[in-house]
Amino acid sequence: MGHRSSFSVQTLAVLADLCATPSRWRHGYGLARATGLKSGTLYPILVRLADRGLVEARWEDEQPAGRPRRHLYRITPEGLAVATTALAQARLAGDQVQAGSSVRSGRRVTAKAAPWTG
Amino acid sequence: MDWLTTVIMTLLRYSEPMLPAGKRAWARALRLEAAEVPAGWDRLAWLAGGARFTMREAALNRLGYPAAFAAAVTVTAWTAWSGPPGDSAVVINRVDVITISVILAGLPWIVRRARGPVAGSRQARMIRTAGYAAILILVLVKTAVERVADARPNNLAGSVLGWTGETTFLAVMVGYAAVVLACTANRSPAVPATVVIGTAAGAAAGLMIYLLGPFGCPVRFTGWWPAHLYDAAITLGALVAAGAPVAAGRAATRRAGGSMPAGSRARQGAMAGLCAGTAAALVVAALSTATIALLPYDAALRTWAAAHIGHWTPIVGQVTPVIGIRLGYVAGASAFAAGYLVVLLLSPLAGCGLGAWAGRAADRPDPVRPRRPGR
Repeated sequence: MGHRSSFSVQTLAVLADLCATPSRWRHGYGLARATGLKSGTLYPILVRLADRGLVEARWEDEQPAGRPRRHLYRITPEGLAVATTALAQARLAGDQVQAGSSVRSGRRVTAKAAPWTG
Repeated sequence: MDWLTTVIMTLLRYSEPMLPAGKRAWARALRLEAAEVPAGWDRLAWLAGGARFTMREAALNRLGYPAAFAAAVTVTAWTAWSGPPGDSAVVINRVDVITISVILAGLPWIVRRARGPVAGSRQARMIRTAGYAAILILVLVKTAVERVADARPNNLAGSVLGWTGETTFLAVMVGYAAVVLACTANRSPAVPATVVIGTAAGAAAGLMIYLLGPFGCPVRFTGWWPAHLYDAAITLGALVAAGAPVAAGRAATRRAGGSMPAGSRARQGAMAGLCAGTAAALVVAALSTATIALLPYDAALRTWAAAHIGHWTPIVGQVTPVIGIRLGYVAGASAFAAGYLVVLLLSPLAGCGLGAWAGRAADRPDPVRPRRPGR
């Protein structure tokens, strides 16, 4: 059963960055630098994506020396399928959303999500 | 600038408990991540974003939901309060509104101790909000019916029966609110998908059952086709009522994992059936009671119904003393509206039983067959 999802350009930028290295755990500041998003924009997006099961989050396993433990993020298999479809449709729609590109406007892009696989 | 950074960091740290349980880890992550951001304006901007995130979530959690609840209770009370002083119907309505408001405001504190705060997911908050809204709407439409049905000279049942029904109704509403709160809590006895599946199936079934019998009470048609169509629709409604908890129990068990032990399958099925029965009964009771309250006052709808589906009369209205068309209809139909109390009482119990049976039977693992020697 398919379901329709709408992603803002900012969300697509985050998804594109996470899709670039799907197996790698990323941290918030790294994502913010890669996408050009401010923390007040980035974190609500990550929360929404995690609520929908498109992104998984965990804390670093061990306490590193000299800095606090970090919260890490990675795209889920379902998130990868949804993001791939959404990004392809966004490109087709001529929105010029590129992986890791800087954020321009708040226009929303509607994409047909991949089938539920859970 | 360092002192400002320190001040914002401290404020963020101490404001984290104001956030919903599911959002605290995110706020903490944002605050701790600031250590990686270069000191100066960049770090200050990062923390400013954290302050925005925290304030928005805290405002919604601490102010948004309580404000919405207070507004909904005020509207319900203002609508239900009117009526001549000393009228027994008005007294019952006012007791209704006050008691329900106290229950809905206080019960979360009790459930929080046993089951924790509301779960962090958006679905849990939506189901909790929708459940509260449905209970308040039901109270609102019930008071609209009782304003006519329990007022003199329609209050034929007597005050003892009226207060017994009222007490039962309030006890049932406590149960409904407790089910909604417990199922959407952090330590819910059901997995989140089970609650979502059960609630969605129940709400859809409730809407369908209402649409199949759209007048809120039994009606009698004079035409052959309308009468048989109506009977078929009512039969289909009964099948939907029984099928929704079974389907929900089966789907929830499969979603949770069909290979789990039979006891766990039955428990998830029972929880899905409970959610389905609860949601269906709330939707049917609220919509049907609203129809009973509003229909006789909507002349256009009555005219349309008479012109398109033949002459119809509410069956209960024929056996009730009629004091004017409108009063007679409402007084008669309100007897049936009171019957929804039985629906509210039995639907969650029946849903729980049917869901448990469906969950236990769903995806039963194949028994291990002993292999024949030599094969």
